[in-house]
Amino acid sequence: MDEKLSQALERSNYMTTLATQKRFLWEKYQDDLTYYSNGHEVAITESLITFCSTLLDRNRQDVILTDANNLPFFVEDLSEFLDNILDQYARASNEYYQSYNELKKSRSVEGLVNL
Amino acid sequence: MSKGLLVFAYNNRAVDYIQQAAFLAKRAKEYLDLPLSIVTDDVKSAEKWKDLFDEIIFCRSSAMTAKTYNNGTMAKQKLVFRNDTRPKAYQLSPYEQTVLLDTDYIIADDVLKNCFDGPNDFMIYKDAYDLAGFRDYSEFKHISDVGVEFYWATCVYFNKCETNKTFFDLVQHVQTYWTHYRQIYRLETPVYRNDHIFSIAIHIMNGFKKGDFAAKMPGKLYYTTDKDILHKLDGDEFTLLLEKENRLGQYTLANFKGTSLHVMNKFSLAENIDV
Repeated sequence: MDEKLSQALERSNYMTTLATQKRFLWEKYQDDLTYYSNGHEVAITESLITFCSTLLDRNRQDVILTDANNLPFFVEDLSEFLDNILDQYARASNEYYQSYNELKKSRSVEGLVNL
Repeated sequence: MSKGLLVFAYNNRAVDYIQQAAFLAKRAKEYLDLPLSIVTDDVKSAEKWKDLFDEIIFCRSSAMTAKTYNNGTMAKQKLVFRNDTRPKAYQLSPYEQTVLLDTDYIIADDVLKNCFDGPNDFMIYKDAYDLAGFRDYSEFKHISDVGVEFYWATCVYFNKCETNKTFFDLVQHVQTYWTHYRQIYRLETPVYRNDHIFSIAIHIMNGFKKGDFAAKMPGKLYYTTDKDILHKLDGDEFTLLLEKENRLGQYTLANFKGTSLHVMNKFSLAENIDV
């Protein structure tokens, strides 16, 4: 096979795997941003963090939120809840950032999938 | 209340579902610290792994459905598939709170632990995520072009309560009169699928419309079809060869980590499980 064509195909394989791995990282990040409280599932978003923070600034100690099944649940200790979701948000974002940087550095298909 | 996992395993001449169940039991202990019971008609084979199973429950299967099992995009064979006993899950489960799983669901996280503390009596996945990313998954959105919403019987949570008993009685009723319900619900395929039976029963429980009888399971259901290949499984890390779009026999190498995965290729799964 012509060497240039061979290189193009190799590059194509690399790009396909890179795109797949980026998609998996994003999915993992979304999963890691899922918080469970007494069986209720909530997505940790910037707006949830801001909302909880605003309530605390206004001296509210508790809140009622809705979960992934649209069911309401009571958060008795809002301060603790905010700490928990902030910690999880930071951990998940940091892991996403580190993993993405590692991915960017990999220059072969094998490197992208840790083979 | 007692908690545990329940699987149904009926071997055919090429696929050892009982071995898969033993592997799942091992991982259920490791990732969830939960016991697993197996329902099978081959108790002798299951007893090889009796240390891994909480209970071995005998139940005869009368189904003789033939189904195509792919092993990647280039190899396939038609084998017997016996899936007719799953509707008896409610009566057979030894647990008050049960997660019903397919044997080819590979646990790699602890998300299912969140089933047990919540307010929902019945949970199931409606949406699932194909790792290949390009395949047409419309057959997994609705049971047919004009049919009701599709639910995955792969992974189901239920507790023992009157409503769930009614639901599983209904599932068995739909199964008994499958030919009738298949026509009413406009299913084109003659192949019996538990996903379809569960989907129809959920639709009926909701008053013949969309409703909230079935809550969403925690997390997401990820899957690879039997046209993909599991190359290596190391702890919570899956190395996969994913079918390439419009390139028969070619695959994309990929690595999926830290999340449970439904691996439908039984042959490559068998090569990677150690029990």
